[in-house]
Amino acid sequence: MTMVLGVALVSAAVVLFIVQPVVKGLHASLEREDDELTDTEARKRVALLALRDVEYDFLAGKLDDEDYRSLKSELTAEALAALEADEAARAGRAGTAEGGTAVAAEIDDLEAEIARIRSHIRSGLVCASCGYANEEGSRFCSSCGTALGGRAAS
Amino acid sequence: MTVLGEFALWISLPVALWGMFLGFAGGRTQRGDLVLSAERSVYAVFLLHLVASIGVIAAFVGDRFEYWYVASYSNREMEIFYKITGLWAGQRGSLLFWALLLGLFSSVAVFQNRNKNREFMPYVAAVLQTVLAFFVVVLLFAQVNPFERLDFIPANGQGLNPQLQNYWMTIHPPTLYLGFTAFTVPFAFAVAALLNGRLDARWIVLTRKWILTSWLFLSIGIVFGMRWAYEELGWGGYWFWDPVENASLLPWLTATAFLHSIQIQEKRGMLKVWNMSLVLATFLLTIFATFLTRAGLIESVHTFAQNLTIAYIFLGFMGTMLALCTVLILYRLPQLQSENKIESFVSRESAFLFNNLMLVGAAFAVMWGTLFPLITEGVTGQQISVGPPFFNRVNIPIGLVLLALVGIGPVIAWRRATKKNLQRNFSTPFIVGLGTAVVLWFSGARHGLALTTWSISAFVLTIIAIEFWKGTRARARIEGEGLLKAFFHLVTRNRRRWGGYIVHVGIVIMFMGFAGAAYNVDTKHHVMPGDVVEVESPMGHTYELTYEGLSVSIGRGQRNLMWQMIASVSVQVDGRPTGILTPEKRSYVTAQQPMTEVGIRSTPIEDLYLILAAVDDTNAALSADASAQGIDLQVLVKPLVSFIWLGCLMLTLGTVIALWPSADRRRLESEAVDAAPATAGA
Amino acid sequence: MKHGRFMVGLVGVAAVITYLVWTGVSTTMVYYLTPSELMERVEADPAFRDMGVKVSGKVVPDSYERVEGGDLLHRFVVHDLEDPTVTFPVEWRDALPDTFSDEVEVVVEGRLNTDGVFEATTLLTKCGSRYEAAPEDMAR
Repeated sequence: MTMVLGVALVSAAVVLFIVQPVVKGLHASLEREDDELTDTEARKRVALLALRDVEYDFLAGKLDDEDYRSLKSELTAEALAALEADEAARAGRAGTAEGGTAVAAEIDDLEAEIARIRSHIRSGLVCASCGYANEEGSRFCSSCGTALGGRAAS
Repeated sequence: MTVLGEFALWISLPVALWGMFLGFAGGRTQRGDLVLSAERSVYAVFLLHLVASIGVIAAFVGDRFEYWYVASYSNREMEIFYKITGLWAGQRGSLLFWALLLGLFSSVAVFQNRNKNREFMPYVAAVLQTVLAFFVVVLLFAQVNPFERLDFIPANGQGLNPQLQNYWMTIHPPTLYLGFTAFTVPFAFAVAALLNGRLDARWIVLTRKWILTSWLFLSIGIVFGMRWAYEELGWGGYWFWDPVENASLLPWLTATAFLHSIQIQEKRGMLKVWNMSLVLATFLLTIFATFLTRAGLIESVHTFAQNLTIAYIFLGFMGTMLALCTVLILYRLPQLQSENKIESFVSRESAFLFNNLMLVGAAFAVMWGTLFPLITEGVTGQQISVGPPFFNRVNIPIGLVLLALVGIGPVIAWRRATKKNLQRNFSTPFIVGLGTAVVLWFSGARHGLALTTWSISAFVLTIIAIEFWKGTRARARIEGEGLLKAFFHLVTRNRRRWGGYIVHVGIVIMFMGFAGAAYNVDTKHHVMPGDVVEVESPMGHTYELTYEGLSVSIGRGQRNLMWQMIASVSVQVDGRPTGILTPEKRSYVTAQQPMTEVGIRSTPIEDLYLILAAVDDTNAALSADASAQGIDLQVLVKPLVSFIWLGCLMLTLGTVIALWPSADRRRLESEAVDAAPATAGA
Repeated sequence: MKHGRFMVGLVGVAAVITYLVWTGVSTTMVYYLTPSELMERVEADPAFRDMGVKVSGKVVPDSYERVEGGDLLHRFVVHDLEDPTVTFPVEWRDALPDTFSDEVEVVVEGRLNTDGVFEATTLLTKCGSRYEAAPEDMAR
């Protein structure tokens, strides 16, 4: 008897649970939420990540000057295009809050990081010949001995 | 409880079908009420399967032998632990367990996305319910119902095969199933993306984490299986290219390929069709793996029995899914066009493409080797057998190329690598690799394949070490941090990349372990008590093994054990005593023949592996005849086996790091979720 | 995709892998026969003895003998599953599987030598039926 009761209870519970939305008109949201990653944001993020990695690689001595310049200009162009596309998309979606999303925060972080690396490079501490990132106040490269402060990567 | 469980299984079918129809309908008509109902049905099916599983466990614990499944895999004397885990001891229960885990992941996916990715979720829920419905259909209609009853009640059950009463064997199926079932979720997202046309950069972000999680479980599951075989099968091997082992490897290979080629799509917008196909292929291969193990078409150590109904249902399902997905991809082809093209043969894109080619090539080879005997038998009637010689012949060269790519890929430049770039990044590692080969050669190692493997490993490890070093140092300069802090921040700021490097280190270490098999030592000795056997290890140690004697223990009922014959062997390494190993023979009530339990002494560089191969006179020994102590002792020395387990640990660590969400994102995401307007969510 | 040189490289590698798989199967595959089939083939073509084969059969009761001496050498006779009159002797030089016994189903891989003795390089006992028991096997 308890078995029949148990079975009846379970069936009733399940049926009620899944049929309720249709009967009562409860709806699940089908719209994209404000804080979601959009396609243009995703591309912007990827472009900035790539740019940051290039800066780091140059700093770590994995790229030489020439490679660095050409890669950087390519990626900067791409990042700019992605930024512009994202701006256009935002304008299209008038009213969406900016800066309140996780991705926006990450993008800000990335931009700040890139800026830091660039200023370090600009200060002439990256050796033009071997790519080694030297300490503040160095005049000669600690890795290869060349004099520093020649061509600063812009 | 068990009856309730059986009932729960039955009603899970209409519920799953309801969810399937409403999900597709709701997505098509954009009706939120249908979608909500569908999502609720996902939770409902999971709960029903939970009830069903508890029902099965209750039957085991209650010794309800009128259920065929319980009678086949349990008996009164068995320990409670194996009764509970009896749920996945055999074919029927494991299918239910699979459905349970699938339901779990489906519920997690639906719950996680109750406030986001809403354009995908109707179809995601629908696809998940479709797969679940399939499994319930199999359970109910293919003669594999775990609740099937006998028409009498046996006095006692058959008990579990003693080889399965082992820690590793108990956790190996769950971890493997966790991996297999988890792949259904990214598959569902992929199909949803194909259906709603949102094939842009977001799809990558959605699927990547799920695939990485599934991949982690699958990797661990496979290695656990290897560990079980090593400890329990008593042959000293850990991989046999057994059809069921191969089946678990196939989705692992395609998933690994996907994890790499997805980066090309992310960075350069290429290979979209390829990536989509890989996700679909991985899912189909997980179903194929279940199929291989359930249909019993191929003889193997693992196989369960033959059952044609189930074969037809599985083949039908796989065929339908394959056809539908192909149609979908063709339909969306315009949106899956590449945005760029490959510029140079020598570039990271190229390296990743070769990596994919190798992995998919290996998958083809393994699949071919596994299915060829079947096909031949079907076509010509002639039975043939394809074994380890084939698989090793094809996969070893592929493996070596992959090993080299593990080093080259992450470091070579995107788009095109200049000569300078190559020189800068590869000269030192190349020299180290070459140097390693030379040093090994002069230390007496002459085995070509092993030497190659270890040299390439040195090459790769050098590259990765330099990467970590350069990266840490650069960061220390920029941020003005100490090296340790810089290292920590380096890794946490880009978990994917550096976690990935750690995973690669793990893989390299595992390959080094595999190559150690080239120097395995295998000797057999007939000994009487007091005899000393001396074995030289390839690493230069000398093992002195003194056979002390045979002790016999006759226990009853304890773990179904009838008797144990334990050989005591005291071990001395280079003159120093290091303890006693006890290889055994055991006889269980439930098995007709004795089983072997090996004695292993593991050190980081090699394992000493002892097997009690044979006892001169079993009956005399059991009658406590003191003169019947002669045995055949097999002594194996297996270099670098620990590297395999260590490599797996590193792999796990690296993947966890790669998966770990960054603190800022987590905080912001939770804030955003709290702020979002509350909908009538489940 | 017009990637010229690149496609050549890709196709080349794919070709190599295909070659490895194709020749791999034909050089390593092993015929899986019954004792009757083995005898037939050897009679028809004595050179067939050189081929590595895999044979499945059952161990003839009381045929097992252990040859003494330092080396582990076992001898036993295998009969055809369908036709117990077709038999051949087997020599095996390694530890016996635990499940080895009279009438157990075995799979041996190796060569039939000119003396008519099968020199086995692999010996497996089949325990597949362990996983599925017929209801009749259950103790009432």
